[in-house]
Amino acid sequence: TSSHVQSDAFNIFSCQLCDLRSPYSYYGQKPPNTRAIVLLEECFVTKDPFSPDREKFLILGSECSLCRKRVCVGSDCSLFYTKRFCMECVNKHLNQFPHQIQAELAKKKPPRDPKSVQR
Amino acid sequence: MDSDDNRNWDWDSSNCRAQLDEVFFRRHDYIQAGSPEHREFWAFFDRFQSFKMKRDMSGLATSRDEMSREDRRRKISSETVDLGLPKEYDARYRINLSVCTRDVEERLGVSKHASRHRSSGPGNQEISDCRVALLHFLDFTQRQSFIKLAKLRRDQKNLPIFQYRDKIVDLIRLHPVVVVAGDTGCGKSTQVPQYLLSAGFSHIACTQPRRIACISLAKRVSFESLNQFGSKVGHQIRFETTRTKATKLLFLTEGLLLRQIQHDRTLAQYQVVIVDEVHERHLHCDFLLGVLRTLVAERPDLRLILMSATINIKLFSDYFRSAPVLQVPGRLFPIQVTYQPIPPEEQASRSEKMDPRPYLRILQGIDQRYPPEERGDLLIFLSGLAEISTIQEACQIYATHTRRWIVLPLHSTLSLAQQDKVFDISPTGVRKCIISTNIAETSVTIDGVRFVVDSGKVKEMSFDPKAKMQRLQEFWISRASSEQRKGRAGRTGPGVCYRLYAESDYDAFAPYPVPEIHRVSLDSLILQMKSMDLGDPLSFVFIDPPPAASIQTAITYLKEQGALDRRGELTSIGSLLAQLPVDVVIGKMLVLGSLFNLVESVLTVAAALSVQSPFLRSSQHNPDCATARQSLHSNQGDPFTLLNTFNAWVEIKGERGGGSRKWCRRRGLEEQRLYEMVNLRRQFKDLLKDHGLLESNFSTSSDGDRGQRRERLTERKKLHQMKRDHEQHESTKRKVLKMNEGQDEFSSGSDTEKTGRGKKDKKGSGSNVDIQEVKFKLRHNMSELQDAVSVSQDLSSRQQALLKLLLCRGLYPQMALPDEHNTSRKDSDQVFHTKNKQGVVMHPTSVFATDPEVLLVPEEESRDTEANKRESSRHQLLAFVTLLETNRPYLTNCVRVPALQTLLLVANTIDSNADCTRLVVDGWLELELRNPEEALKVLSSALTLRAEWERLLLAQLDHNTSRGESTQGVSRKTTEKLSEGLVRYLMYTEVIYSLRRITALQMQNLYIGPQTESGLSNLKSPGLGSLSPGTEAKPDPIKGGLQVTSFFTYNCLADSRDLYSECLRTFWACPNCDLYMPLTPLERMQHETSCRPAGEQQQEAEPESGQKSSSGMSSLSRVYHCDICNKDLTLTSTEILKHKRQHMYSANN
Repeated sequence: TSSHVQSDAFNIFSCQLCDLRSPYSYYGQKPPNTRAIVLLEECFVTKDPFSPDREKFLILGSECSLCRKRVCVGSDCSLFYTKRFCMECVNKHLNQFPHQIQAELAKKKPPRDPKSVQR
Repeated sequence: MDSDDNRNWDWDSSNCRAQLDEVFFRRHDYIQAGSPEHREFWAFFDRFQSFKMKRDMSGLATSRDEMSREDRRRKISSETVDLGLPKEYDARYRINLSVCTRDVEERLGVSKHASRHRSSGPGNQEISDCRVALLHFLDFTQRQSFIKLAKLRRDQKNLPIFQYRDKIVDLIRLHPVVVVAGDTGCGKSTQVPQYLLSAGFSHIACTQPRRIACISLAKRVSFESLNQFGSKVGHQIRFETTRTKATKLLFLTEGLLLRQIQHDRTLAQYQVVIVDEVHERHLHCDFLLGVLRTLVAERPDLRLILMSATINIKLFSDYFRSAPVLQVPGRLFPIQVTYQPIPPEEQASRSEKMDPRPYLRILQGIDQRYPPEERGDLLIFLSGLAEISTIQEACQIYATHTRRWIVLPLHSTLSLAQQDKVFDISPTGVRKCIISTNIAETSVTIDGVRFVVDSGKVKEMSFDPKAKMQRLQEFWISRASSEQRKGRAGRTGPGVCYRLYAESDYDAFAPYPVPEIHRVSLDSLILQMKSMDLGDPLSFVFIDPPPAASIQTAITYLKEQGALDRRGELTSIGSLLAQLPVDVVIGKMLVLGSLFNLVESVLTVAAALSVQSPFLRSSQHNPDCATARQSLHSNQGDPFTLLNTFNAWVEIKGERGGGSRKWCRRRGLEEQRLYEMVNLRRQFKDLLKDHGLLESNFSTSSDGDRGQRRERLTERKKLHQMKRDHEQHESTKRKVLKMNEGQDEFSSGSDTEKTGRGKKDKKGSGSNVDIQEVKFKLRHNMSELQDAVSVSQDLSSRQQALLKLLLCRGLYPQMALPDEHNTSRKDSDQVFHTKNKQGVVMHPTSVFATDPEVLLVPEEESRDTEANKRESSRHQLLAFVTLLETNRPYLTNCVRVPALQTLLLVANTIDSNADCTRLVVDGWLELELRNPEEALKVLSSALTLRAEWERLLLAQLDHNTSRGESTQGVSRKTTEKLSEGLVRYLMYTEVIYSLRRITALQMQNLYIGPQTESGLSNLKSPGLGSLSPGTEAKPDPIKGGLQVTSFFTYNCLADSRDLYSECLRTFWACPNCDLYMPLTPLERMQHETSCRPAGEQQQEAEPESGQKSSSGMSSLSRVYHCDICNKDLTLTSTEILKHKRQHMYSANN
């Protein structure tokens, strides 16, 4: 599928896995007012609405380094380990991830889904 | 080895941390030293370090890591894609951020090399440790915020209305009017505006019946749409607005939108108008719908959305030509309903207190049936305050005994702090028992309620148009209210609702509550309709038209108040009153006050009378409060007590700032009300300035030097920051209740206990900012306010007299007469009479309830002539703000005034007999003066003063309507002269008179009735008659006699005493001119009104006010045909008399 967000015109980020939608104000690695901070991937960024300080940023998501899907940073949709991986790709290549991550994912997965608990 | 180098590096030392701050948290960095995030970071750092320490010690991590590497290497070979992941796991790889500080490090000379030479200062290791911690901290904060965002989005999606999102937008695109009906919890109020915003609509107005909802919704929607600090979502209420040019969605009150329509008739500023909570049927809302209904036809591009609970939806749809309705299910959990009618033996009769047993049984039942660890609070709906305190008392005893309940009252006269307690959490195993009026039915929503007890009763204010009286009466609620109350049990989980009435009662309830428009006085509504030019109020298409009688009463009242003329058209004062968002009465005071030099006091009193009383009822019986309040009391009347209180408060605020809170507490004052007063006062002042009734502030230009200005600016900046901080932390304010929480009420006011509580709060919430104090400082200029207050402080007795007169003229005809037998009654049994209602009593909160002696006619000065005719020169009346009937009719907010003087200066109609010794005022009060000479003098002085007052008032109002032209307002000198005259009249008129009500029987034969032409001939002698320039005196067609001015009818009283005194001429010498001739009483009055002392007349002719005075002169003079000279002469009345005198003398010669 084409990995483009349909509502680009309004600067809306939407996660292709969980459909979380939110407007973003910046896309790239150096959001404004971040000074010494650099992002290690191209991210969809907005102002952090939960911070009292108006200059704080919030990363919404980025593209999966493998399949190029746009995914949010929520732990159900993606993880970052030197690069961004969507959960689908993570599950596909689970074995290449360190056991710490594997253990963590196993713990988090709902027990109802026996397939994902399997090592 | 590294550790050797940094022997004296100490992570706990603030000095060491400060050095790292130099690297990571500089002034321009993302996180700055000293900021809250910076503090959070170091707290995080400590946790992070100790976590690392623990992990390192366990040593397990590394060995496992080895294994996994082996493991992985084996597996990769079998796969197709190599992800190129690092061989060794490091948590740092999971963070998608990095921090570059190399520049600073280099500058500081921090490197492996340098660190050896430096005895202290961060080495590479320290820098790196700190960097890693910072990365984790940033990642942690990102995660925290994202979790919040995800939850927010999830919650939005879970709202019942979410599924209708597209449907709603489609409907709105297609139809000019759409009704969205959904029950509590469906999310319509927060979501529909957002759906519209994201569908590309802008300029959206969303009205709310309550101010508080405007603020909280704007905040919520702004938060949900993630531009909390942007300005796209704003609110606008009476005193504050966050609206900017960029605002796309504005939450505002219904009343405010109506005011906007006054200035912007087609609401061109909006593309979409959402009217929320239409089912609540508030007066403003019903009216707004009527106005919008016509507007929709005029503006096809306007979109109108009505949002309602699922109550009576058809009514709204039909009103807008079958507008489409979208019905959204609410989100309520199942609620089990139990009908438990109160057995007859437990039903209270009218006079008795309520029997608490049915309520106690329910508390017991809950304790028996539901284990205490199952959470869920109880909400009891009762009709009023007395009922609440009865049940509260009984429940408190039970609660103290079982220790399983915290009993909390909830009603609007509680202090806000006490109201807020219902939102606090009870300790585990303890339930809240909230005893509330119907305030918790719609206005206040409390989560966590599982049990509802519904008494089925409500006390509602209704308006009795006949007596012009507010009445607070108990009614059965409607089925709609009953369902609403029930629904309060099912917001957070399944619930139970106990109805203390039978199912058959329920079935007999009215389907819906009576809309406000059918219950209240329509004065302000009709005035507003008139000013919006909406035609005859009787033919306006309301959604549910009010009774015609009620509209008629309002029109009559507005005429009485001078806001409408005889034909029902808006007068100039009326159009001004329509602009003021207050009661007609209060508005009138403001306009009158602006004329005189008393504006500061009038502003305060008007504001004080427009808000709830700051005196807390609960502290009324507290002796400490009573003592502390003593100095604030004024035996002139309640408005003066309020004035004193406000002035004292401002003084305290000037001295102690936030310390005023304690000052208020000690006196049993709700400070919130004082803040409201100061805001309202400011608004009134601005309005008067806007309308040219008050000189624009002379000191608005920023005074003070640049340094002072900068100081103020930094101060303001700080205050703004405090306000923002407060808003940020507001949501996390919930406290856990103490077991004895509810008991405060019985011992309230005890200062020590409360300050103790205050201290606890301070510790608990970290920064205990008094947000009201902050807002106050932001909004008001303290020194300006102090100036204003000092002007109105310690009013001289003359100023006091004048202020009373202004209040009276505003309040008129709301006057009460003390009963003649009050002298022999107990303090608490003092009785008063108004024109339409007899036997009313003083409200216990009034100063006159505690100090009624000041109302009595001094014994030694009064003389009883006949049975009930007490003569004195000191009779007093009370002007009051409201007549309120609860269990008895009460007068509230009273001020005492000298009877005769005040009546003659403000009454709407004054009727006299031939020699003016008998006066009837507004057909209900009779004054008999002993001395005809005095009577004539007192009456003609009043006429003169009133004519002048009216003239100045009109000049002032004309000045404001025809601004731009070079018309000058009323000069200070003229108003000062008038106020001097009024004061002298009020204070130094010493005439002996009797004062009594006219009986119904007397009323029947009060007037002579219409007379034949011939009988009037002697009254129509040329040159006489008119006391108000420009209008000819005419015989009154109903009462008889001669209508001399709009309010004074001469010689219309049927008087057996003297049939001929009207034409009896007695010699009289004018003190102002050299006139000396026999005159009838009317001729004499006539002369007195137009003849001024010589000095005054000269001044009028002075060129500085030449233009005005000449026009004034010309309006006084008229064409007079002299039969003797047979010539038409243009003369003033005085000149006519002089002219006639010439002929008399020449005839005598």
